Amino acid sequence: MTGRLYGILLIIALAVSLVVPLAGCGGQKEKGTQAENTYTVADATGDWGFPSPYAHYFRGPGYIRMSLIFDTLLWKNEKEYIPALAKSWEYNAGENSYTFSLVENATWHDGSKFTARDVVFTIDYTKMHPYQGVSAGVVKKAEALGDYRVKMYLDRPYAPFLEYIGGTLPILPEHIWKDVGSPEKFQQEKALVGTGPFILEDYSKEQGSYLYRANREYYQGKPAVDRIRFVKMGSQVMAAALRQKQASAAQVPPELGGALDEEGFFILAGKHDWVAKLMINHQREPLNKKEFRQALAFAIDRQALVGTCLRGHGLPGSPGLIPPDSPWYNAAVENQYPHSPERAALLIKGLGYEKKGNFFEKNGRALELELLVSGGGQGSPGAPGDREGEMIKGQLEKVGLKVSLRSLESKTLDSRVAEGQYDIALGGHGGLGGDPEMLNRMILDKGFNSARYQDSQELNLALKQQLTLMDRESRRELVGKVQEIYAREMPALPLYYPTWYWAHDGRAPLYYTLQGVGSGVPIPLNKMAFVNQND
Amino acid sequence: MHINYWGEIKRDSLGRAGMGTLVVLALLAIGAPIVSQYQPAEYTGAIFQPPSSQYWLGTNDVGQDIWAQLLYGARTSLLIGSGAALLSTFFSVLAGGMAAVLGGFGDRVLMRAVDALIAVPPVIVAILAAAYFRPGASMLIILLSAFLWPGGARLIRSQALSVKERMHIAAARTFGSSWPYLIRRHIIPDLGPVLTAILVLNFRRAVFMEAGLSFLGVADPTVISWGKMMQQALKFSYLEVWKWWLLPAGAALSMTIAALTFTGFALEKAINPRLKK
Repeated sequence: MTGRLYGILLIIALAVSLVVPLAGCGGQKEKGTQAENTYTVADATGDWGFPSPYAHYFRGPGYIRMSLIFDTLLWKNEKEYIPALAKSWEYNAGENSYTFSLVENATWHDGSKFTARDVVFTIDYTKMHPYQGVSAGVVKKAEALGDYRVKMYLDRPYAPFLEYIGGTLPILPEHIWKDVGSPEKFQQEKALVGTGPFILEDYSKEQGSYLYRANREYYQGKPAVDRIRFVKMGSQVMAAALRQKQASAAQVPPELGGALDEEGFFILAGKHDWVAKLMINHQREPLNKKEFRQALAFAIDRQALVGTCLRGHGLPGSPGLIPPDSPWYNAAVENQYPHSPERAALLIKGLGYEKKGNFFEKNGRALELELLVSGGGQGSPGAPGDREGEMIKGQLEKVGLKVSLRSLESKTLDSRVAEGQYDIALGGHGGLGGDPEMLNRMILDKGFNSARYQDSQELNLALKQQLTLMDRESRRELVGKVQEIYAREMPALPLYYPTWYWAHDGRAPLYYTLQGVGSGVPIPLNKMAFVNQND
Repeated sequence: MHINYWGEIKRDSLGRAGMGTLVVLALLAIGAPIVSQYQPAEYTGAIFQPPSSQYWLGTNDVGQDIWAQLLYGARTSLLIGSGAALLSTFFSVLAGGMAAVLGGFGDRVLMRAVDALIAVPPVIVAILAAAYFRPGASMLIILLSAFLWPGGARLIRSQALSVKERMHIAAARTFGSSWPYLIRRHIIPDLGPVLTAILVLNFRRAVFMEAGLSFLGVADPTVISWGKMMQQALKFSYLEVWKWWLLPAGAALSMTIAALTFTGFALEKAINPRLKK
């Protein structure tokens, strides 16, 4: 009997000993599944290039994908500059140099130690192979002061130094990049060895998807999510994807912000860093006349564009280009061009035009402009297209300017503008939230987004000088003056700034970065939102 | 071959439905200013309004009346469709007729040109053309005709080759008739049924292509078009508005194409007695 009892007990014990580990395994597996928390970001475009420093597309989302892998010397959160590979930094005014004290516990993803030699190498390398949008040429000399201190001597005072060289330029591992002659073509696994909080696991150009895994050895703390995934998704289905938990964060149409907010999602209304502009070809008559460009500013009702075409989700354009919610904004230009068809007509008359019937003409020739618009309906949310074109045409014709509207595929439009084959065109760009250095790029440079206006010596000088003022207040004053001159010269008319909305499920505390991520990317996907800095 | 087209269509139920729909569409398009109380480009100030007695089909994203846009869109479709059908059929007759009459080397050159043109992707060329020319209504008619005529030219050639060998043509030639006279008095009238079928076919394809190009945003942005309406409505498919914005435009386009197809079937039956029950 006792034997039977022992037998039964033995069987029970065996069963328990088998079941418990099995149950444990099950528990482990389930726990493991929960721990494998993947954060999915939905994106309407999908592919933003191979996420190495030289191969990602020169657009905000491309930079965001690269920044998860590569760190910079310093970084920004929603309020200020914060340490990254440099734990502290100082400006030595006497010798116009910056000294960076580097972190000592950072390692590259392949296990090598990060040292000051990597920083010096990066500066020297980017002088030979310029990194998109950042000019390392301003650094006369970079030298390592031991393993964890670097000094950089500048060849002239350069106000955006911390923003660009410090906070945008990704630091490269010397042991990998020293033999790379064509960085744009270097698209192997080794090209993705950085010091950042995430490591790329998978990238599909065709599907426009990216998968990153957490770098558990990250020197600033453990990432709060195991994986980050970017997937391509049509903008119309993003809200549905959030609701069905197929995405954790996405940019959503303005009309859905309220509904998603009520459903418990976190809604982030962005600052107005993207501007829709009326590009003006000031090489052509009569657009080369300042007064005529001013007439266009009076003729176009920017508030009506926001009210009707954006359904109120935006701000009317400031004549000085900088948006009203920027710390660099000069409120003095705000009311310079109220909507006034009468004042527009007066300015045009002042240029020798006479109104015959509905339209102005001179020497028997009607004043006619061709307005190019992008008809595909793609691009950034709120980007101007047919709708805005039709409304502007109506407003200009009310004043007496005959307008022929022409819809082109967006790349064709960009190339027509770049070649100067246009009268007026609708375009736009971001970056307004970044350092005011972008004013130089958007006014003087040769790109299709730039006004390419160098006719005002006063404006050219002010733009050049604002880069050299190291004192923020003096610089702010000069940037204010730049806006006043811009508003007077009106090389391209800022029409409006659309409000962008992001919705997320709260699993990561997303936020908009001070002056945008890196050099001004207005996307709330700052990598530090995914890192537990206390761990 | 003498056919009473109207009588044939009237006898066929599909033909009657197709022709009836086309007539109603044409009447609505012509009477658009009377049937609608708004101009299609007018900003009413009421954005995304659902259908009501004031706005029969509601309003779109910028507050324009969708019913008015639908009616004026019919004008565009019918005008460009009929224009392109006439012009492309004219080109088809010219090329197909010449190939048949010339024969030999001329025939081979013309037909290889037709083969080459059929292989050209219309959308890519339309995007390129829009970059260099202003794609207004007349430009669009010419552009669409350039893509539509090659198919018809092949048909015309084969029919003309058959017709020119017929006894009465041979008899006329024996009596000294010139080729221009033969083409004008005998060949073209004999090709009548084929021409009518090509005309209807091209009309249908032109309506569809016009909507497609507008949908892609390469047509004249100031012209109200069903394709453009659908493109704009699709951007707001996450809202309820698609029901009274996307569906009516899509339904109108489908109805027009179906009406032309039915009419085409009826005519085909008249031409080809074997199709009759």
